[in-house]
Amino acid sequence: MAKPFLIYVKQCPVCGDGLCRVRVCHDLQRGRLTGCILCDECETVWTDPTLKQKFLRGKVEGTPCCPDCGQSLWEPNSHWADIPEVCLLGWYDSVQIVRKENRDQIV
Amino acid sequence: MARRTSNDPQAIANVLRLIPAKWLVGMLVALVLYFFLQPKLNAWFGWNLPSIAAMAGNETPAKPASPKPASPKPAQPKSAQQKSAQQTSAQAELASTKATEPRTTEPKAASTKPSGEPTKSPATAKAQDQDDWKYRILKPLGRDRYESPAGLIYAPGSEEGHRLSHIARHLEDQPDRPGSHGVFDGDMAAFLVAIDDAYKRARGHAKGTKSRLEDGMTVYEAPFDQTVGYLGGTEGARKKNPKLKKLRLVLRDRNLITAFPIQ
Repeated sequence: MAKPFLIYVKQCPVCGDGLCRVRVCHDLQRGRLTGCILCDECETVWTDPTLKQKFLRGKVEGTPCCPDCGQSLWEPNSHWADIPEVCLLGWYDSVQIVRKENRDQIV
Repeated sequence: MARRTSNDPQAIANVLRLIPAKWLVGMLVALVLYFFLQPKLNAWFGWNLPSIAAMAGNETPAKPASPKPASPKPAQPKSAQQKSAQQTSAQAELASTKATEPRTTEPKAASTKPSGEPTKSPATAKAQDQDDWKYRILKPLGRDRYESPAGLIYAPGSEEGHRLSHIARHLEDQPDRPGSHGVFDGDMAAFLVAIDDAYKRARGHAKGTKSRLEDGMTVYEAPFDQTVGYLGGTEGARKKNPKLKKLRLVLRDRNLITAFPIQ
């Protein structure tokens, strides 16, 4: 379901067109929620909102992977973070939040 | 045809008698070198050098390593008439490419339909259209993977589930999206042709193109003579949607991750 807010850190420094957004991966086995920053255009992954450290190694080739469990960030157990999750990660001050006018256009 | 005389053994023997031995050896060496380098040069630089067999007239000309460069005007302004004309030109171009390219002779075969593709029904005219442009331009590789004439791979991936669906986001503006959002001014077929053109030129280090490596990804930029799109998103709206004349491609090996017009 489309969320009413779009949460992002900044425009992607790699591709220049994507938004660096907060992606969370819910590791069901360990009951752990991991956050990372994922460009929604070029799929570059950073470990935190400072965008200093990229995560390059994952278990699934050709897809962005969770820095913690290494699984694809496009799997059903991952999703774009909502505001409570961003707070939980302690990243609220690092992100920008915009309300979506047209929910169909920004998913 | 005139070429027939050069194949006549008697004529060749006469010519050979007139040429000094040193020259003959030199020509032979050049011929052997060309024989080995021709396919590699075509692959590396996207050239279309003919094979020796083709030059001798024993074979059809070498298949292009990539299609004829897309028109420097892959996208035209927005009128429906112009768009349809543009699509027709892109199709004609691709058809001419197909004529010399054996591997693209079968794309319309129903048996090549990838797995996971929804079955066509009369009600889904849009899906039918989508398959049409896919098969006219891209060669199915199986498992929902496609290869463009220039060798780019469009595979499953991205949030949308497939790279083709992902780049389709750049066919429309997203006015509420924060920042800039490059919008290609044309349809998907024209977009794919333009991407291929940009890829070939950037890979061949053509004038004005740029490329850089980003931790396993390659980012290419290629300028076009005419506008290929416009700047969308909130940034674009703020700047009154300026026209864009460059394409940026992000690749992992030959796999296209994304492509969009930039300033």
